[in-house]
Amino acid sequence: MLILGIETATLQVGCALAGHEGVRASFHVAHGRRHVETLVPAIDFLCREAQVEIDEIGAVAVDIGPGLFTGLRVGVAAAKALAQALRVPAVGVSSLDLLAFPVRHSSRLIVCAIDARRSELYYAFYRHVPGGAQRLSPYRVGSPNELVSELVARGEDCLFVGDGALRYPQILADTQGAEFGGPSTAHPSATALVELAHPLALREEFVQPWELQPLYLRQSDAEINWERRTRADWAAAG
Amino acid sequence: MITVTTKSVDDTKALGAEVAAFCRPRDVIVLAGDLGTGKTAFTQGLARGLGVDEPVTSPAFILVRTYVGRLPLTHIDVYRLDHIQELVDLGIAELVDEGGVTVVEWGDVVLPALPADFLEVHLEHGEATDDREVRIRALGSSWAPRMAALTRAVDRWTTGV
Repeated sequence: MLILGIETATLQVGCALAGHEGVRASFHVAHGRRHVETLVPAIDFLCREAQVEIDEIGAVAVDIGPGLFTGLRVGVAAAKALAQALRVPAVGVSSLDLLAFPVRHSSRLIVCAIDARRSELYYAFYRHVPGGAQRLSPYRVGSPNELVSELVARGEDCLFVGDGALRYPQILADTQGAEFGGPSTAHPSATALVELAHPLALREEFVQPWELQPLYLRQSDAEINWERRTRADWAAAG
Repeated sequence: MITVTTKSVDDTKALGAEVAAFCRPRDVIVLAGDLGTGKTAFTQGLARGLGVDEPVTSPAFILVRTYVGRLPLTHIDVYRLDHIQELVDLGIAELVDEGGVTVVEWGDVVLPALPADFLEVHLEHGEATDDREVRIRALGSSWAPRMAALTRAVDRWTTGV
């Protein structure tokens, strides 16, 4: 089965095609910051160069975050639209899982951290297990200092990957035996996405396109306290 | 905290332009005050001070407008929103991080969705019809070191002794 992967969770825009033999083609732009303008022409380019007709695609995989709001909306909307139009199922994979994938053979505690802005990080911890990496913690959002506190409590040698780790190296270096994956591990990649999605697709661990949801870790149920607006509206009405 | 009085809409704009001189990338300015106290006027002055040529209008119905200047200006009005999540869904964290100056009208009601570091400008009616009492204070560490210089710069609006 041919899988198209769509990756827009960070500043990088990527897409990739993979079949049973592995990744056939991939395309990444790291600092375009124009997810809308780049993504669909990139998919078109990818298919042409790989000599794949769009209707040969058997499943659409997408990075569902956590990550950039604007990026995720573009990626998830494109994945939904394509999957629905092609009448194929979809697979959603987390950005943090994708960051762990290329470094899954490390014996260290793998700490994936994506820049959440507002001086915060999205993060999760992973450990190498036969055949891949296992996630050891829930996906979280917190300050770099909160992350360091959790890591100090664990007392393990850490490997940091993701653009969040690159943004706060001084703070994160305050942990035991800290190593950094560097720029080549800064962004989740579409190649990791299609590689991870392939076994999921073979096991039919699909979702329907309309079930795809971005993973927003910052949820607030709070209503705005609009006492002042009500007062102003009454004053205007009165 | 700085307390000053402006005497007209143009005077409020001039105050905004003065504050613009102290702005840096990723600054957030929260505007508080009831309808008609000059939040948009202050923003128009600030925009002029940031070198924005386009006319700045209230973004109440479109929520966010971005302008090009010496520093880009992102002008947000949350007056039409009912839930904090709606502001999160505008990608507020990313807008602020893009490197411009972000002004949030009615920002005081959505503080949980804003960065902890910001300048608060609170406007309210003063004694005369066109008078506005303006209170300016720094929250968090980013504006605090700039407050002494800002206080001197807005000295001409300071009310009596």
